[in-house]
Amino acid sequence: MEVSLFIFNSDGMIKKLIYNILLVAGVLFILDFAIGRTLRHFYFREIAGFHYRTTYSMEKTMEDVLIFGASRANHHYVPEIFGDSLKMTFYNTGRDGNGIFYQAALLKSVLKRYTPKIIILDYKGEFWKGPLEYDQMSSLMPYYRTHKEIRPIIELRSPYEKLKLGSETYPFNSQILTIAMGNLDINKTRNADNKGYVPLEATHAPELKVYTSTASYEVDSNKVNAFKDFVTSAKASGAKVYVVYSPLYQKLARYQENEICSEICAREKIPFFDFSRDTFFLQRGNLFYDGVHLNHKGAILFSNIIAGKIKAGLNNSPD
Amino acid sequence: MVFTSFNFLIFFPLLATLYFLFPTKHRWLILLAGSYFFYINIKPVYALLLAGVTLSTYLFTRLIDNTPNESRKKTYLVLNIVLILLPLFFFKYFGVVNEGIFGLLESLNVRWPLPSIELLLPVGISFYTFMAIGYTIDVYNEEVAAEKNLGIVALFVSFFPLILSGPIERAGNMLPQFRARKGPDYDMIVGGMKLMLWGYFMKLVVADRVGIYVDAVYHNIGEHNGTSLLFAAALYPFQVYADLGGYSLIAIGTAKILGMNVMDNFRRPFFATSMAEFWRRWHISLISWLTDYVYTPLSFAFRKYRVRGIVTALLITFLISGVWHGASLTFVIWGLMQGIFVSIEALTVKPRNNFAQRFNLKKRGWYIAVGCLVTFTLFAASQVFARADNLQDAFLVYARILSTSGPLFIGVPSILLFGLFGIGMMMLKDFTDEFMPSRFLLFENKHKPVRILSYSAVILLIFLIGVFDGGEFIYFQF
Repeated sequence: MEVSLFIFNSDGMIKKLIYNILLVAGVLFILDFAIGRTLRHFYFREIAGFHYRTTYSMEKTMEDVLIFGASRANHHYVPEIFGDSLKMTFYNTGRDGNGIFYQAALLKSVLKRYTPKIIILDYKGEFWKGPLEYDQMSSLMPYYRTHKEIRPIIELRSPYEKLKLGSETYPFNSQILTIAMGNLDINKTRNADNKGYVPLEATHAPELKVYTSTASYEVDSNKVNAFKDFVTSAKASGAKVYVVYSPLYQKLARYQENEICSEICAREKIPFFDFSRDTFFLQRGNLFYDGVHLNHKGAILFSNIIAGKIKAGLNNSPD
Repeated sequence: MVFTSFNFLIFFPLLATLYFLFPTKHRWLILLAGSYFFYINIKPVYALLLAGVTLSTYLFTRLIDNTPNESRKKTYLVLNIVLILLPLFFFKYFGVVNEGIFGLLESLNVRWPLPSIELLLPVGISFYTFMAIGYTIDVYNEEVAAEKNLGIVALFVSFFPLILSGPIERAGNMLPQFRARKGPDYDMIVGGMKLMLWGYFMKLVVADRVGIYVDAVYHNIGEHNGTSLLFAAALYPFQVYADLGGYSLIAIGTAKILGMNVMDNFRRPFFATSMAEFWRRWHISLISWLTDYVYTPLSFAFRKYRVRGIVTALLITFLISGVWHGASLTFVIWGLMQGIFVSIEALTVKPRNNFAQRFNLKKRGWYIAVGCLVTFTLFAASQVFARADNLQDAFLVYARILSTSGPLFIGVPSILLFGLFGIGMMMLKDFTDEFMPSRFLLFENKHKPVRILSYSAVILLIFLIGVFDGGEFIYFQF
């Protein structure tokens, strides 16, 4: 029988191949290290914009009141109103296009440093199965190396995430332009940070959309667990915790996410302020930027309502 | 398992090592096992269909080969083609035909009690079905002998680099390579790796990045103005080229590492100066398959009608190409548009050539540039039908392009900028390969440091601006 094993008759071919692969790997390692470290340096030098706000939220916040959430959190909670009403310092950690994993990771980093007095999670309860919220965790990747506490969350992205994050440049995938812009002086003045809050200006009311589907979606247990973990850790830290579903300018036939949120909050005895079907806001399109975001005018009104509710709760609290 | 998954980056080196460690005589067994493992990883049940197509093809090709009777041969040929086309028709077209019949009956006030059935198309079915049909016809035409080893036929139909999106290979090229007893070849391995690397660049940096912008516009056609729609329509051909072209390079590179030469699928299509030339450069394996098994027999059958026969054969061939892509009116129109473009060119080829020769235009840069631009515009215009979800959307795109204007939708600036940068790099490489093939060499540079730096730079670019969660390849849906 003919036996032809390449390792025996390859005339040094394998040696040459491995040598060249190692050479490319070596050059790649050096370039990856140099470019990655440069990007890291400039990423953490930003003093405005959403990179800066995430860094500040994770590493520097010492405020009494912290808002967590995605874009609806970021654009709905006006710092001055909470500051004036509650007489407490305030920071809005909300970031556009980031879901419960981001918020859970952020909370872990915050609680490692200190315990805020009040934690507000604005959550639209996006518990359905899908890759979006896993993909969105890319905004946490620059912190993977220095924040051990958030690693298990980031590793939910894929079994190979740990391996990929061995690269110095991969955490900054797609961010090179934003980092460059963030380091320009013009960006520092254009995006001056107002305690995390970014107002949305709009003058025209959006169209009121009505959705008729009552179908259930498949729930992602990782997302539900992250939500549960958020509220239980926040509560266990000793902070006052509130979960808010801020107003929508759209009508849904079924609010499956509210069912999950309210059930978990009730179990944990955490106040859940549900504005998803609030008729006051549903009748006032002029308070919205689009179907899911309040404009600045709407945000002022809404912040007053939430701050009032919290203040009332604090006044009635035996503490 | 898909080429862009991390699983594949683990699976393939392991398989390749095992393949080369195995005695040459039985290496095909490793490839067969690896191919089925690769396919089963997507959805195990689909492997049964694949095995069914393989078995039918094996049996009927053996029968064709062993039968001296010509009419019986033909019967076996037809039987096998019908049998292996059945799953394709069932999964791809049943829903559309079903809905059509329901609609027709409802319009006649006849209510059919059966509900409509939603079927998920087994990935790669259009590709391996065409490969199996091609093999059957080749055996019938005595261009290749029927393979006696069922395992080799199974490997041909399921060969993992090709099964999901081609290139649609021929038995005449692949079967001898599966049996060849040769050792690993350094140049083939390195050449394969280079192709794979550039394929990954095209897919991750260009296709998936440009796709984010194109999707954002096409998902809200009514909300976007003509400027943005025109821009998205112009970007879409680049996206498809980078997607299927990138996939093809990874497939060809993978096969090359294993010591097999697979046919090219793209040859710098955007430098074609006519639609006929374009179709000799774009999705070459599909078009050459259609040319050999559809166009040539048809044009032979219609030869007495002369030019009209050629035009009819062209229209039918491209119509089949459209329907192969998808069971919808948009793809029927897309196919017909290609047929019409190529037919018009065929009808006007003589006066155009005379004109170009008289003024010595064929070597003029501007003449070539205009030809490329017109060809690209025609193709991009037809691709609106390929991208739009339905006919209404496609017409809405045209209507809004012609009737509305305004500022260009940018979305996230970095997405658009990275996408345009990727297109720029891809087209620059194609440009130098097309017009100055011996200059500006990077991967093929004679100086090793330049080559090493080029590979590293491309990998780094993938790390830096590639889209790692961009999803599947466009042609998986076909």
